[in-house]
Amino acid sequence: MTGLTLRLELRRSRTLSVGLAVVVLAYGGLIAAVYPILLTNTAAIEDYMKLFPKDFMAAFGMTGSLADPGIFFTTYIGSMLWPIVAAIAAIVLATRPTCADAERGWADVCLATPLSRRRYLGAAIASQVVILGALALVTVLGVLAVGGLVGAWFDGARFLAAGGVMWLFGCAMAGVASLVAVITLSRGAAAAVTAGILIAMYLLNIIAQIQPGLAWLSGLSAFRYAGVGALIDTGTADWAGIGAFAVVAAIGWTLSLVLFRRRDLLP
Amino acid sequence: MPEAIELRGLTRWYGKRRGVIDLDAGVHEGEVFGFLGPNGAGKTTTIRMLLGLIRPSSGTARILGLDPWRQADAAHRQLAHLGSDPGYLGEMDAASLLDYLGALRGLPRGSWRPIAERLELDPSVPVRKLSRGNRQKVGVAQVFMGREPLLVMDEPSTGLDPLMQREFLALVAEARGDGRTVFLSSHNLPEIERACDRVAIIREGRLVKIATVAALVGDHTRSVNLVLGRPAIDGAFALPGVTILSSTGQDIHLMVRGDVNPLLRRLGELDVRDIAISTPDVEDLFFRYYEGTVAGSEGRPAAPGPVDAVAGEAVR
Repeated sequence: MTGLTLRLELRRSRTLSVGLAVVVLAYGGLIAAVYPILLTNTAAIEDYMKLFPKDFMAAFGMTGSLADPGIFFTTYIGSMLWPIVAAIAAIVLATRPTCADAERGWADVCLATPLSRRRYLGAAIASQVVILGALALVTVLGVLAVGGLVGAWFDGARFLAAGGVMWLFGCAMAGVASLVAVITLSRGAAAAVTAGILIAMYLLNIIAQIQPGLAWLSGLSAFRYAGVGALIDTGTADWAGIGAFAVVAAIGWTLSLVLFRRRDLLP
Repeated sequence: MPEAIELRGLTRWYGKRRGVIDLDAGVHEGEVFGFLGPNGAGKTTTIRMLLGLIRPSSGTARILGLDPWRQADAAHRQLAHLGSDPGYLGEMDAASLLDYLGALRGLPRGSWRPIAERLELDPSVPVRKLSRGNRQKVGVAQVFMGREPLLVMDEPSTGLDPLMQREFLALVAEARGDGRTVFLSSHNLPEIERACDRVAIIREGRLVKIATVAALVGDHTRSVNLVLGRPAIDGAFALPGVTILSSTGQDIHLMVRGDVNPLLRRLGELDVRDIAISTPDVEDLFFRYYEGTVAGSEGRPAAPGPVDAVAGEAVR
């Protein structure tokens, strides 16, 4: 029954998934195609970058040379494109079963059958895991593929590991969005809260980079742990922080399942 | 008689807003039970509590002995539900949608086909392209495709043309013939009159009447117009429950409440040239109850007093 509902959820998500996949493939491919140009013009670009305050550049993830694959990938995709794409997917998918489908009456249709609320929402959560994973994979594979075509041979294993971090970051967003959706039963409220949290964390991270006295604020920001530059360039990462993404996702989804069982589903 | 649905003091408030108040009713197994009331009376709230979608503020609801909130999974195996405007996924065609919903109920693929054929439903069309009536056919096929012992339907024939409404009533009759219980919430009063064994009337969140359709109609006034061969003697119609509304000698208009036999016996003694008796339909009765212009059978106000069961008709 859960598998059946998962298949339906994935089928319903085709348009969103394909649309976002096209975006990440196109943008990631374009950026990867530009990478050899960056490499050959590194010196000029770095001279240009020196015009900007160092802290300002650090705030946007550019803590090294754009010629470094990790910095390059984080600057253009990991800290920029991916949070936007993942937030769109997470919010749309996580608010659909408990808000949009409840409002349109589809939840009533399903939940008046032997399909339990746990299985109904569980299938929707599983679809979030699958779709976010697929999008992260497509993002990384697009960069790797186009990079290979233009002669920029990125480290496939490290890029795939970075894709895993991106996936967990997306899952954490979905877990939070799912929980807020169950609490509010309002798609607008859940989207606003989730997006608000993300923007606040993004700003916290920037402030922490610009103001050394407020560096501790970065510890409160998911964006500190979502950066994959070091992982790609040196193979090191803040695994505790990355693990926190998995914990946040698991807590968000688990609480969603528990609370959804107890919620009145008003028409 | 075993109860398929049992409501005891069922109450639901939405904050300070009234949903339903203190509903006490029982639906016997194997009967077709009509649930009548205007928009906002509390029909959908009652059904949502029966389905375990919302919790009662107080009181209990039971479906075949199961608590639909605490034992939702078990209760849902016993029922099929059709909402008033089911939010089907527009991008799915009717066949895929019905197969999916059938699979959730453990039914094999295509279980809906015999019903769809009776309703002349084209299953290949995406639901969003279906007319209101055809979407409703999907819902009717959905609810009747299984063998659950309880069918709960909210405005099921809305949008169906007269032929399909007749087919729908035939399906309801077949379900009753199979011993299944049907809980039918409707605005369609003739449909209720034709389909149901008993009817509950809900007004402003409270049940004001539960009775068999026959008793509901039979317990109320009839209009009798007589043309006599010669004027009746004084006191000829001084009978229990009979009121003379007008009399012009040979043309007499009477209202009769309750038992009509004394009047019929008296008419047998008179030279009656013509007679016209009109019986109120459920629609008349419903509006009278809703407007509060009819007292209960014991002379109580129609609402918000206790449920007015027809004499000899147990509420449960």
